[in-house]
Amino acid sequence: MPTAKDLQALADREVVELAKAGREAAYRELLRRYERPVFSLIYRMVRDRALAEDLAQETFIKVLNALESYRPDYKFSSWIFKIANNAAIDQLRRHQLDTLSLDGAPHARTPDEVEATALQAADHGESPLEELESRETGSAIERAISRLRPEYRTAILLRHVEGRSYEEIAEVMDLPLGTVKTYIHRARLELRDYLADLRT
Amino acid sequence: MTHKHLDDSELDALVLRALSSLPSLSPSRGFQDRVMAGVILPRPRAVALLQRAGAWVIQPRRAVVLATAYALCVLVTVALGGPWVAAHVGVLGGAASWVAGRVGAWLDAATLAAATWVVRSGVGESLRAVAGTGPRLWAEVAALSLGYAAGGYGLHVLLKAPRRTDVSVARSL
Repeated sequence: MPTAKDLQALADREVVELAKAGREAAYRELLRRYERPVFSLIYRMVRDRALAEDLAQETFIKVLNALESYRPDYKFSSWIFKIANNAAIDQLRRHQLDTLSLDGAPHARTPDEVEATALQAADHGESPLEELESRETGSAIERAISRLRPEYRTAILLRHVEGRSYEEIAEVMDLPLGTVKTYIHRARLELRDYLADLRT
Repeated sequence: MTHKHLDDSELDALVLRALSSLPSLSPSRGFQDRVMAGVILPRPRAVALLQRAGAWVIQPRRAVVLATAYALCVLVTVALGGPWVAAHVGVLGGAASWVAGRVGAWLDAATLAAATWVVRSGVGESLRAVAGTGPRLWAEVAALSLGYAAGGYGLHVLLKAPRRTDVSVARSL
């Protein structure tokens, strides 16, 4: 029986096969691999921590309970990002959330709510000065991303934050490759304009 | 921020840098456990078999006795018959080919007798007269086909009729 360390060395497809055989460790490995990328994508789409957690949880439960229907000719990451993105887009359509807070959700009223909905960034080991500068640029870019159309947001986040290929983004978004490239180009122009406006 | 007077390419580079340095965000502690609480793990085959056996064991005593008796019959037959068959393979092979030869000869004789009777008794002629030719033959073929189709449909309806599949195994036994 493969250990947790052995599982880390396996490809997604192999881990999925083990999960299908009923290995709980394989399920947890898939969760470990995708909890951050999926949560980050959903959070940056809906910009509400509690809501993002609910949607990410819903996404994982849906995916892990439907592993039997997973087609190995499709990338597992594409599949999970597609479900996550659909969940986020549906949510945006329902509630039209359009404000951003890095320190907590817009609806947070009490200090507890603010703390509960605040972002938890992974530690990158930066010095205090670097951290301050990157936080400045980071919060500006987060704000800029929040102003993009949801489709542009998904495309730019998958490409430049998650490092996915254009082909995979096209699969995730169910769009032609050319459209994805156009979305990413336009999103970058909008982000550039937004950052330029900030400095004038 | 102090990024004034940057041209477009520098701004592009700044955007890309900012995007790639965005932190990966983590859900709160216990996220994995909350997800796993909602996941139904598929049962390994061995466990599924064990559970099936367990479910069988809790059936009424009559069903268990019946199944045990059947299993015993099969086991005894195989245990006693197996070695005997293995010891007499040659004899059994000879007997089988003798039986096959006799049955083949009997079938040949029966077919020949039937054909002779049809020709000599005039039944063949009568059948030809009944079947007819031309339009009559086509009408008969059509009627036969319709009858066959109606029979098939009737069977289909009969098989589709609801049956009491919801009766539990325990009760039916």
